[in-house]
Amino acid sequence: MKFKGYAGLFLHVNLTTGKLKKVPLDEKLALEYLGGAGFCSRILYDRIKPGTDPLSPENVLMFATGPLTGTLFPQASRYVVAAKSPLTEIWGESHAAGHWGPELKYAGYDAIVVEGRSAKPVYLRIDDDAVELKEAGDLWGKTTHETDDILRKDMGDPYVKVASIGPAGENLVRYAAIMNDRERCAARSGLGAVMGSKKLKAIVVRGSKDIEVAEADKYLEFIDELQKRMLAHPFTEGRVKYGTTYLIELMQEIGRLPTYNMRQGVFEEYEKISGETIRKKYLVKPRACFSCVQRCGRYTKVDKGPFAFIGGSPEFETQSSLGSRCGVSNVEAVLFAHYLCNAYGMDGISTGATISWAMECYDVGILTKKDTGGIDLSWGNYETLIQLITMIAKRKGFGDLLAEGSYRAARKIGRGSEKYVMHVKKQEIAAQEPRAQKSMGLAAVTAARGADHLYAFPVLDEVSFKDTIEERFGKEYLPEIADRLNPKYKGLMVKECEDYMVVVESVGVCKYGTQIPPVYYYDDISKALKLTCGMNVSEERLRLIGERIVNLNRAFNAREGISRKDDILPERLTKEPSPKGPAKGQVVELEEMLREYYTLRGWNIESGLPAKQKLLELGLGEVAEELEEKLLQVTSPTPRKKPPGYG
Amino acid sequence: MPYLHADPLECTGCRICELSCAFLHEHVLNPKKARVRVVRREEGQDIPVACRHCEKPACIEACPEGAIRKVEKTGLVVINQKKCTGCTLCVDACPYDAIFMHPSRHVAINCTLCGFCVKQCPVRCLEIVKGE
Repeated sequence: MKFKGYAGLFLHVNLTTGKLKKVPLDEKLALEYLGGAGFCSRILYDRIKPGTDPLSPENVLMFATGPLTGTLFPQASRYVVAAKSPLTEIWGESHAAGHWGPELKYAGYDAIVVEGRSAKPVYLRIDDDAVELKEAGDLWGKTTHETDDILRKDMGDPYVKVASIGPAGENLVRYAAIMNDRERCAARSGLGAVMGSKKLKAIVVRGSKDIEVAEADKYLEFIDELQKRMLAHPFTEGRVKYGTTYLIELMQEIGRLPTYNMRQGVFEEYEKISGETIRKKYLVKPRACFSCVQRCGRYTKVDKGPFAFIGGSPEFETQSSLGSRCGVSNVEAVLFAHYLCNAYGMDGISTGATISWAMECYDVGILTKKDTGGIDLSWGNYETLIQLITMIAKRKGFGDLLAEGSYRAARKIGRGSEKYVMHVKKQEIAAQEPRAQKSMGLAAVTAARGADHLYAFPVLDEVSFKDTIEERFGKEYLPEIADRLNPKYKGLMVKECEDYMVVVESVGVCKYGTQIPPVYYYDDISKALKLTCGMNVSEERLRLIGERIVNLNRAFNAREGISRKDDILPERLTKEPSPKGPAKGQVVELEEMLREYYTLRGWNIESGLPAKQKLLELGLGEVAEELEEKLLQVTSPTPRKKPPGYG
Repeated sequence: MPYLHADPLECTGCRICELSCAFLHEHVLNPKKARVRVVRREEGQDIPVACRHCEKPACIEACPEGAIRKVEKTGLVVINQKKCTGCTLCVDACPYDAIFMHPSRHVAINCTLCGFCVKQCPVRCLEIVKGE
């Protein structure tokens, strides 16, 4: 491999045949897609055939790091996992930090491509060059925490790193997560269920190889400057003190805190589950991911009572999903619920959102104790919350229905419960009440993996980083673009943020520091690639690569039948004015924002699909040919053929 | 004797010290070439482990090559890498698990108390203390 920074090898694992293969990293692929999310976008577009059942052996599961993963670039701790999602049946992608991704690179691999299905439970053991599949019969059924303990003990080495699934992944819960380093979580898209369907329990890694640096003489000076800029940013102090838990207070203040299944954006009892409450009563310490100066991870302890535990604390997403969204104000229950989600390996967002959907159905009388097996689903019932998490992970009783996610559960129940499902493309909307921040409404709709705040992560107008907005977008769009309630220029914001965020997830660094606080931008990444890898990738090229990845993700979805008709929000958010709080009276003006977005993307406004010209510009000629056929189908009224077994 | 120390609850476990150490001594990024390693233990502890430069070093007694000595003036335990054969007996003997094998040169390495990691630690939790 010509470039430094990369490990230089892909590991291919066929679980059906048990064959393992190491393939040198293709330089062209590195130049066109960088790594991480980019690698996944290209390889899985080529490898996963349209219509593939996500839980079949034909689905391909990929873990990928970026060229900066495992380096001293601040927050260079990330890896990406991708496959076709069992929750959405479209593009599935999830990201996590911690220490596992860097360890994979130190073992000598940029990525792992997993295909097939093992007959028996196995785990993959990587010890530098020595790679083997080992029986995991004894591990099957264990929580992710137990798996981590057992595998570290087996290797006789406290420094090895483990990524695993828990019972939720084994039981094919459609929003099962992949956990690494005990508390870090590739949560969304249900990729833990893909791992479970392949009978792959864990990947344990030990690495001792070098990541070489291209311009070693200039490297430390550059890193020093980057770290100093981060530590000096006014936002960092709060991040160190609270992680993201303080967003409960901030989002309450702007009316964007999902409450009672997104009926409203304010929670009367928000103080009970707030960042300040957690810091004062339960925080043990902040715990950092690899190479991170911001240390947003929280380590917490509940001393006694039914919810006693010690371990990772929720960040804002799970804190609000398991808290305000279900009307739960018992903070110890929220902390413990999150701990259980991690132990079982389950996405805290979809877990909380699915339970809150059921609670609303119970509240309006669609669901009764007859349906739930006697469980009281009243708002705020924290005992129910705790009970249901275990039932979902084990698919017991009423939990079996909820394990399908709110979209499928509602389809099964019917009786008008569908309108209470807060989803886009079958994935539950995360903790952004979009009526209080319009850019988040658009972002949820355009994201490749279904409802998602992270694909664009348009947080710049959230607490108004006005200077950054001016720097990144230009003065001419102010003041509207920085006004979170104004839909104007949000198409521009979401488009630009998507392109940048996929680049960030491709090089292997964190969205914290690149987007919030917005300390580093394309110029820093370009310079980092030069000094670390010896790659000359201009800012302009980086932008093009970002656009290429977004278009390829969209093409993947288009092949599965996705088009403009699917780019929608629940009616609650577009038609029912927000009932109370600072965003009272607001709805999401989606159509207006979408039109701007499609236009800037160079996508067809009627179909919402990339125009041929755009794909050619991005060097995706063969994709254009494949899509052309699709475009004709979308504009004619032939119904989409569904893959068997899904409804 | 002087040694590197940090409060396990102050240390966040970011491992910037490991990377900085390896980069300073070896010009590559590789935690397994660092003279300091952060062990993450449950109940929230992150423990930077480095040579304690003991009063009566077990490693010196264990070394069959006479490759390890204690420098009287500074109190530092120094490994002569030319004499080291990579037998790992010192690694096994160390009560603090603080001597490491270099993964490519296959010789024992330990903290030289250069202080670079102290300077690079973003939470400023590392310090060189005088122990018993």
